[in-house]
Amino acid sequence: MKIASLSPDQAPPIGVPLRFFAVAPVFLVLAALLLTIGDGNPFANTHSPALLAATHCITLGFMAMVMLGAIQQVVPVLIGSQMPAPRLVAWLTMLPLMGGALLLTTGFALSKPELLNLSWPLLGLAFLVFIGASLFSLARATAKNPTRTAILLSILSLAGAVTLGMLMARGYAAGLSIPYARLATAHISLALGGGVMLLIVGVSYQVVPMFQLTPNYPKWLTTYLSPAIFGALLLSLIPLTFESAPRWPGLIAEIIFWILTSGYAVITLKLQSQRRRRVPDATLSFFRLGMIALLVAASFSLGSLLPTAYSDHLRMLSVLTFLLGFAMSVIQGMLYKIIPFLVWFHLFRGGVNAIKVGIPNMKEIIPERWMWWHLKLHGGTLLAALLATRLDMAAWLVMLGLLLQGILLGCANFAGISVYRRTYRRIEQAST
Amino acid sequence: MKTIKEFMAAGHTACDNEFARAEEAALANNWSVAETAFTTFQSAMSHHFKMEEEVLFPTLKSSGGPAGPVHVMLMEHAQIKELLKQMAEAVAQKDAQRYGGLSETLLIVMQQHNYKEENILYSMADDILAQEREALIERMQAV
Repeated sequence: MKIASLSPDQAPPIGVPLRFFAVAPVFLVLAALLLTIGDGNPFANTHSPALLAATHCITLGFMAMVMLGAIQQVVPVLIGSQMPAPRLVAWLTMLPLMGGALLLTTGFALSKPELLNLSWPLLGLAFLVFIGASLFSLARATAKNPTRTAILLSILSLAGAVTLGMLMARGYAAGLSIPYARLATAHISLALGGGVMLLIVGVSYQVVPMFQLTPNYPKWLTTYLSPAIFGALLLSLIPLTFESAPRWPGLIAEIIFWILTSGYAVITLKLQSQRRRRVPDATLSFFRLGMIALLVAASFSLGSLLPTAYSDHLRMLSVLTFLLGFAMSVIQGMLYKIIPFLVWFHLFRGGVNAIKVGIPNMKEIIPERWMWWHLKLHGGTLLAALLATRLDMAAWLVMLGLLLQGILLGCANFAGISVYRRTYRRIEQAST
Repeated sequence: MKTIKEFMAAGHTACDNEFARAEEAALANNWSVAETAFTTFQSAMSHHFKMEEEVLFPTLKSSGGPAGPVHVMLMEHAQIKELLKQMAEAVAQKDAQRYGGLSETLLIVMQQHNYKEENILYSMADDILAQEREALIERMQAV
């Protein structure tokens, strides 16, 4: 049994995760600005450079930035295994991810292949370091629990998504003739359906019961759900790999994928409704919005499988709802728990002097009303996004929503950092 | 027969229930209920800590269990006790705002502490102290 997992120095320095969290909202602002470039409504065409650029701003610059920072912080506790060389891994993931995401998105927005050519090696480096360190940490994890399995499958999916993404960026920059449409479908499925979905599933097993005092997820679910989702995802990709393969096994696999993920959403909502802690909590509301959005995304996707004229439109709506409604809601909700807790936790390490000067509690770090404003703003942005494919006006509201969300989240993060700095100075003064 | 892990985890759940009752009442400014619920919660916590600090941890250490994890658990107990002390002050002052902030903080500290105990420390205790499990649980109940 490994004891390192309970070492007092298990947590990396506070600057490590907070740097990831401070950079991420800048990309939301950038996504909003990128949507304004180009002609007409960027949501009207799935291949519009502005939409492609903004989407990658959100997925790489915002979502991956937060998730990679949070994983490096939270996973050592959840699976009982340290990341190797935490500071080095943090820098070697954050800097190339930031640079790569900036180059890729500007490359898309300005249609400049040379920028794409610079972006993919950087993104490859960021994910290679992160995936390598995570696999190392997972391999020596003492806790062989379902969270570990889900995170492992999430990381394998991510590795696939990144490889395909790099291949497409390289191919596009060099003008290679490769099957972009099929590669893009596989890339999106692996990134969202695998990487994001399975990570959230694995983390939910722990945080849903922990923070709201709900009953635990049933054991059968935690054992089989993530391998089943991963299996269905891989099967749904078969028709993309072999052009001659019949389409029906892929369709059935996709239906199974959405049934499984909807089942997860329904059970999570049910557990949350049975919570013993019944006080209002913004994180809980973000999480529930996320689960409802997942159900809506599932119905759009299942609807798109019917041979109608609306098929492509429904598929686009499904991706938007999954990305903005499910993934972003859960991620932002989690941030509002993680940032205040980290600040409190690191200040408490100041020991006796910290207690003497008084450490702000979690609700004194980021004002609670900001979180509720953010929830409303986020809900509004999501509704606008659902209408944006047809209404130009709604597209503008999405841009405004993303812009304000980025600013608000950035302010929340800086509020956390400044409370930390201020209190830290007082603790130091008390000890001299 | 119950394992140490099952016995102690049941204690965590009981404390969680009292925590939730006290928090709900305090945030609703229902102080007569909040005071009683908080006192029950605080004494459940202190009984649980006593079982660990006076029986389980020393026995584990003297049976060759590693000192490091026990040390970390004791540090976290100190964090939790400090938060409980501040919460008792908030109850005395009938300050719902302050109570809510402290209980939010306590919840995360307590939950990640329980998680580590249930997933690592208690399993370790069940392995090392397998022979004397029953007697150990009886001794803890008698604290």
